[in-house]
Amino acid sequence: MKAAIEAINRMQADGIIGKYAIGGAVGATFYLEPAATLDVDVFVILPTAPGGLLLSLSPIYDYWKARGGTVEDEYIVISGWPVQFLPANNELELEALAEAVPTTVEDVGTWVLTAEHLAAIALRTGRPKDHNRILQFIEEGAVDRKRLQTIVERHHLNERWKQFERRFLEGTHG
Amino acid sequence: MDKSKMRARLASLSFTEKIKILEKLRDRDRVIAASGLRRKVAVDARKKADKDTGS
Repeated sequence: MKAAIEAINRMQADGIIGKYAIGGAVGATFYLEPAATLDVDVFVILPTAPGGLLLSLSPIYDYWKARGGTVEDEYIVISGWPVQFLPANNELELEALAEAVPTTVEDVGTWVLTAEHLAAIALRTGRPKDHNRILQFIEEGAVDRKRLQTIVERHHLNERWKQFERRFLEGTHG
Repeated sequence: MDKSKMRARLASLSFTEKIKILEKLRDRDRVIAASGLRRKVAVDARKKADKDTGS
């Protein structure tokens, strides 16, 4: 993972991506016990294209292909880790990137989304594994519930949150 | 050590230590996938289910 993060940092220094932060299961691992995962989700801000052209992930794929990287479906395999680059394309993801937490992996600097933003993004995505992750965050006291509620309200996820509460949290307030 | 204490201990590790565990878990998954063990377990489970339902 260290080598993968170094490679992503190089890509950032080369101007291919702007700010980035690790999300998904690897991001959640920053706050929770480690859980098996096969890939790395990296939220990114893509540099603005001249003339406001529609941005795409092509520069990222081209960058790695030029360096002998392997592209497998939506993943780029970097140092043995399939990495999925997810351009921040809504206010929630942009805010999540702006508030990402700096950290290190074996002395290599990187950023991880906050627990509350990981939970809010999981709520929006809404797959069973996302619900599991939110439950883990809550059960292990890894999220600030008030802060999460503020994010949920700011990004109009109230109805989803109510559904989630009804389904999974009834009788477990705390 | 009970399960909740173990989870708390794992959660309190540094990100670097957790990433090392993730790498071990990933490598273990790959070995299992390459061995065909998951496929064998799935086939065995299906056979058992078929037998149990008499189909």
